[in-house]
Amino acid sequence: MTQRFALPREDREFTAVQDVSFDIGGGEFVSIVGPSGCGKSTLLGLIAGLVPISAGHISLDGQPVDGVNARLGFVFQRDALFPWKTVAQNVGLPLLFRGVDAASARPRVADWIARIGLTGFERYHPHQLSGGMRKRVALAMTMVYEPQIVLMDEPFGALDVQTRNLMENDLLEIWAQSRRTVVFVTHDLEEAIALSDRIVVMTASPGRVKAVYTISLPRPRSVTEIRFHPDFGRLYETIWKDLKDEVRVGYERSRQGLAG
Amino acid sequence: MLATSGVDKVSRAEVYLWRVVLLGAFLILWEAATRRGWVDPFFVSQPTVLAMQIADWIRTGFIFRHLVVTMQETIIGFLLGTLLGVAVGFLFAHWEKLARIFDPLMVALNAMPRVVLAPLFILWFGLGLLSKVVMVVSLVFFVVFFSTYTGIREVDRDLVNNARILGASPRHMIRHVLLPSALTWIFASLRTSVGFALIGAVVGEYLGSHEGMGYVISYAESMFNATGVLAGLLVLMAAVIAIDIGLQRLDARFSYWKPVPK
Ligand SMILES: Nc1ncnc2c1ncn2[C@@H]1O[C@H](COP(=O)(O)OP(=O)(O)OP(=O)(O)O)[C@@H](O)[C@H]1O
Ligand SMILES: [Mg+2]
Repeated sequence: MTQRFALPREDREFTAVQDVSFDIGGGEFVSIVGPSGCGKSTLLGLIAGLVPISAGHISLDGQPVDGVNARLGFVFQRDALFPWKTVAQNVGLPLLFRGVDAASARPRVADWIARIGLTGFERYHPHQLSGGMRKRVALAMTMVYEPQIVLMDEPFGALDVQTRNLMENDLLEIWAQSRRTVVFVTHDLEEAIALSDRIVVMTASPGRVKAVYTISLPRPRSVTEIRFHPDFGRLYETIWKDLKDEVRVGYERSRQGLAG
Repeated sequence: MLATSGVDKVSRAEVYLWRVVLLGAFLILWEAATRRGWVDPFFVSQPTVLAMQIADWIRTGFIFRHLVVTMQETIIGFLLGTLLGVAVGFLFAHWEKLARIFDPLMVALNAMPRVVLAPLFILWFGLGLLSKVVMVVSLVFFVVFFSTYTGIREVDRDLVNNARILGASPRHMIRHVLLPSALTWIFASLRTSVGFALIGAVVGEYLGSHEGMGYVISYAESMFNATGVLAGLLVLMAAVIAIDIGLQRLDARFSYWKPVPK
């Protein structure tokens, strides 16, 4: 598939991703890595059905994507919490939207708030939370309605390393329990290797698929320990070689863009 | 509301002190100037006379009758104008085409000085309540309309997308995303629109009516009664300050979810 955005002020089109094609199996954990601006977020937006596709097609379980799919969850790059709602209201919102009655929603919300370690913060508003806490609320908000497919756009990008590792392990645990399909965007190769079954490496803008790697590290994994696995370093080196060139090209190009 | 840290409290007391001192000095100077004959109290009245006039108005209940009329017009007009403004703002934000078609009209109507229209309103809708309410609505509507429209247009795209993913129906979207987002803008312009509402009512009364604060002022003016005019203005000022304090409280109640401004 290909995605072009119209640039009305410049009277031309911008190709964000081009001829991208891959399959993801049910229950698989796939990461997408690539230089900044290569179209990773765009790709997720297309899969989620938030933006109409310019050319090509995407299907989920054999159904073509044409609009938002209710069985899909999306953790946005920028946590999109509703600032006028409390933590509990935010987490409960998807259940409310789905017509789950308040009585059966309450224990599910409480359960997820406990799992993200925010018990006692139910009545806080997003502006009273730290960045990491907000990310956790966003995660709970997505997981509470148990979507079959979860898209995550650099969900842990803004976190410190310790919190990040904790949340990565939590994510792996949740994923192992429920066997959801996860599409995980990150620019952190180590994170991608530690978490995924497969990694899609994208080229600099316009994004194409450069290579796909299968990560056959043993599971269950702990992100902190898997780094010391003998295969980890080898995988890292191979994939990094691919990615490095693209990052450099992307960086040069954006610098030229700024200069010219 | 300001944060009440220790440092703030001290400087706040100081601010109040300065206000009282300056106001007192001004009143004393005014009183002295008129008593010594430096200026003619016929033109500028006198603080003590003003105070007596207002006390008299309060004792006889005269001023309350007129205040109530003005407040009635202000409140009815404000509510109608706000309702209309929110409704049309929503409509325009929802149907881009509508906004495009009516944009020049809205801008032109808004640019028209409503005060000059007041005599027309009085001609059309009579000397009573209705003409003042129309006047108030014509002022309030545009303030609210533009804030609602902007509020909905400027709503965070990520929030809208998130709500869509989370399964919001169009009704959910309005109730949980668009309306709260628009409300912050409407509240931000609330003090402006309430101020406009009062101005609309008073100007309407001033130009043609037989009751209300505008009428009191206009009547005193026609009698060359500076004391009456100034006393009327003072009562209005007091009303405005009272309303403003009330609005600040209301705003604080509705922006509980916002970070406290430093
Ligand atoms: N709505 C849009 N209109 C025009 N151009 C867009 C639009 N959305 C994205 N783009 C462009 O498409 C390209 C890819 O954007 P995208 O957000 O998908 O990048 P990304 O890979 O997620 O980057 P990052 O890692 O920095 O988040 C960028 O050059 C961006 O400017
Ligand atoms: Mg992105």
